[in-house]
This record gives sequence, C-alpha cells and structure tokens, in this order.
Amino acid sequence: MFSKGSVAQGQAVKLDPQPWRWSHPRVLVEHPDEATGLAIASGLRYAGYAVAVCPGPAGHGRCPLTGPAGCAAAHDADLVVSSLGYEHEAAREVLRELRTRYPDTPLLVEAPADVDTDLRELLDGCHQLPAPASTEQIVTAVQSLAGHAAAEGPTSA
Amino acid sequence: MRSPFHSEQEAFRSVLLVILALLVIALAAILGPTWLALVVLAVTLGALAARVAQLRMRKLRGAEMPVKMAPPHVGPAAERRVLVVANDTLGEDALLSELERLASVPHTHVLVLAPAVISTGARLTGAVDDLLGQARMRLKTALDRVGHDLVVAGEISQAEPLEAIEDAFATFAPDEVIVSTRWEHAAGGLEPRLAGLVRERFAVPVRHLVFDPGSAAQEPDRDTEARYRREFGEAAARRFGLKALAGVGIVAALAMSMVALIQSREKQEARATSVSAIEQAAPTAPVAKVVSLKVIPEYKVGPEGEKHDAFTTTEFTVRVGQPQELRIDNTDSVPHSITAPGAGVNIVVMPGVHTYTLLVKHAGTFLWFCTFQCDEWAMEHVGYMSGYIIAS
Repeated sequence: MFSKGSVAQGQAVKLDPQPWRWSHPRVLVEHPDEATGLAIASGLRYAGYAVAVCPGPAGHGRCPLTGPAGCAAAHDADLVVSSLGYEHEAAREVLRELRTRYPDTPLLVEAPADVDTDLRELLDGCHQLPAPASTEQIVTAVQSLAGHAAAEGPTSA
Repeated sequence: MRSPFHSEQEAFRSVLLVILALLVIALAAILGPTWLALVVLAVTLGALAARVAQLRMRKLRGAEMPVKMAPPHVGPAAERRVLVVANDTLGEDALLSELERLASVPHTHVLVLAPAVISTGARLTGAVDDLLGQARMRLKTALDRVGHDLVVAGEISQAEPLEAIEDAFATFAPDEVIVSTRWEHAAGGLEPRLAGLVRERFAVPVRHLVFDPGSAAQEPDRDTEARYRREFGEAAARRFGLKALAGVGIVAALAMSMVALIQSREKQEARATSVSAIEQAAPTAPVAKVVSLKVIPEYKVGPEGEKHDAFTTTEFTVRVGQPQELRIDNTDSVPHSITAPGAGVNIVVMPGVHTYTLLVKHAGTFLWFCTFQCDEWAMEHVGYMSGYIIAS
C-alpha cells in the first residue's frame, strides 16, 4: 500500500461524488478522453490496481476538488495519474489543488516537454511522463512509483 | 436513493439524527401543548421528506461528476470476465447467440445477472417471491438453451439493477459489461437508460445491446443513449416531484387537521370549564318566571329636573338559552323597543299589555335601548329608555 499524507488524512472531506469501494491500491486517473481513460484504467486493473477515472473539469462544470467540499476519489487515492493537458487554467487549478491538498500522494503527470514557465513551476517535483504516453508506459511508471512509495513506507502524520 | 446505513459512519449519523428528532418531539410534547409537538413532528417529517426528495432528484438527474471506478482485474492476465445484465430479453435468440459467442472465446468467463425488477410497492409489502421466481425461471430457461459444453454462470438479484451490478463488481470483477434491454422500457423489464448509468459509474467498457422481439441485437449510438437518460430522468423526476408534493400535502393536511381537532377540543374544554364556573358562581340566582313592567311617558325625573319616558324595570337577569317572559304594559300611544344588538335581542313593545319572550344565547352583560323615536335623552340614559341584560 502507498503512503498517505498527513494533510490528506487530516482534512474534512465530504465524500462526493462517490467514495472508493475497494481497498486495493487505488489509482485515480484524470483524463479528458473517455476511451483513453478507460484504456489506461484497463491496463492498471490488469496490473492489480483499483481505478477511478475522472474526465477532469473540462465540460463537466467545476471540479469538486477545487471547491470547499473536496473530492472523495482524490482524497482516498493512493496515487494519481493526471493527464489533463493543462492548456486551460481549470486543469492547472486541479493540479494545483492536488499538490496543495495531498502533497504526500504520489502524482504522475503526463505533460508535453515544452511547457510554459507557470506550468513548469507547477510541475516542479512531480513525477512526469512526456506526453503522449502509452498505456504501457503509464502502467510501468505507476508500478515504479508504487514500489518506490511502498519502499519509503508511510509518512508520519 | 442511497441507503442511510451504507456505512457504519452513515448509520451512526442517521441513528443520531433520528434520536435527536425524537428528543425534540418528546420535549415539545412534555413542555408545551400537544399542538406544538405536532408542529415539531410535522416540521421534522417535512425536513426528512425534503431531504429524501433532494437525494432522489439528484439520483434521477445523475451523478454530479462522472467519476467511474472499477476493482482490480481478478485471475490470470489472459483471463477475461464478462458480465451480461439482462432480464426481459433473456428469451431472445440473438442474446443467447451472443452468450454462446462470448463463452466460446478461450479464457472468458461469462456471468449472466438477472435483476428481478421489483417495484417499491412490492418491496414494501414483501411480495417479491413471485418476481424472483419469474427471474429465476427466465434465467434457468435461457442458460439451459446455451450450449452445454460452454460455461455460463447465472445469478438473480432482488436489489435494484444498478446496485446488483455494483455487487457483481465486488464479487465477479468484470472486465466488460453488456447490458441488454428493449428499445422501450416495459413493466418488469430493465430500463434502456441502465447502460448509460453503468457506463457512467464503472471504469470498464460497457456495451448496450437492444433487442426487438425476434430480431438481431442493435447498439444504440451515444445520442440515443443520452436521450434515454434525459427523457427518463426528466419524466421520473417529474413523477417523483408530483408524488412528493402530494405526500407533503397529505402530511400537512393531516397535521393541520390534528392541530385543529386538538385546538377545538381544548376550546370546548375551556368553554365547559367556564360555564361550569359561572354556574358554580351563581347557582341560585333567582330568575322570575314572568317579569312584569310598564312603559310610562314622562315617568321619571332626570338630573336636570325634567320628567322623561321610562321603563319601570331596566335591568333584566336571564339564564343563557332559557326564555324569560316579560309582561309589558306600554301605556304610551306609540310602540317602543328593547333592542340589544350584542345579545341578538329586539323586542318591539306595542301599546297595551302584551307578553314577550326574552332569549339570550351568550353569557355577558349587554346594553339595550329603545330604537323608536320618543324621548331622545331617555333613549341614551340607562334607567330610563335604556338598561342592561345580564345573561349567565
């Protein structure tokens, strides 16, 4: 099991839109394209992870992660794979919230190599995969990160 | 609607809320009048109904954020698990062919889930056995028709279809879901929008196979799926809204009737107590059977020294609801009257000797006066052509 940060555990988060139902290592996949998100989810499932797939804020109104209530899927995820593109400010806001609220949750970001300064600063310290990454690359990176996090052990509360 | 006992935390919170509500109602009943307890009860029920309606409407309109979830794959990497959800289409040859095709693929496990679609009324009355029996029979018949060399498992469920699928995800962990429905929702069958709901909730590929009786399977496009969802959601939300409104109206009407009934009873008791107190206070007040009096012009001297018209008796004591006879000798040549609007009395006293009945229906002291033009000063002064009727 991955480690969970003290900030994530300590925050009062309303379980919305829905809580996790499985206790396996849980990976939240943020991808705006439904089919690609499902393909990544399938790869992760076959690698032994419970998955949640969220399309992010594009076209679905305000992401609960950026509101006061928070997002249950992000709150209880052991690792987050974020592939939201980041051309739009709403996607960057989600990334910012993830880093602020859950600083100890491993975050794997799929981002293009040439990014602007703001995004580069935002991505600083994240585990990055050059976009576009294949499902296999993402699964391998998740496994690597999971092993790394498990070796480090849980962080102190 | 999501069960309030879905988790230990939610169950604890629900029980705590119920205890608090009961406590408030009990306190209102003990410390205040009964109607206050009823009002508190009505407010509590109203709040509960509003919350239920809110959750129900939210469910009908769909999830706020479409986060899909799925458990890890179970079994070897080469294995594939397919969950087929069907009920009223289980007898379709095309569906059975699809089952055979799926089951014949190596390393593929097929589970057919047949949710018995049970109405709320049937759930409340416990009349679910027949519906479960029908689902079981339909499933057995279908599986018997699938080739015997193929392994296809079957399962029925009395949970709501979406919850039954959620349970299947926990036990079977499918890698793909196939939802089989008709084009139109029929009684006892699965709703066509179910496929959209499954697709929205679970992070696995979902296929929607739609069957017309006797024809091949068709897969509706996304626009049709969206239309199913929208139309059904709107219609169901409308139906539920109307039902909820009717329910709230009935509860409110019942509560108001009970409050009115209790208030009426309390008023009656108070009135009975009041009358009893009056009777006890003046139990032996003598009331003559017949009171004799006269009306005499220029009979009584006023404070200014002049003589004025007057009744010889101007104060009448009567019992409420009991007729009192007045024998009046009007010695004047014109009529006079004993008029008390507050007591509902208007006796026209004609010249000569006549007997009249004075009847008062309410307790109290009422001013009376003569309404005929005679002695204007006397008409405005008690003891002359004006006086009091005392009813008890």
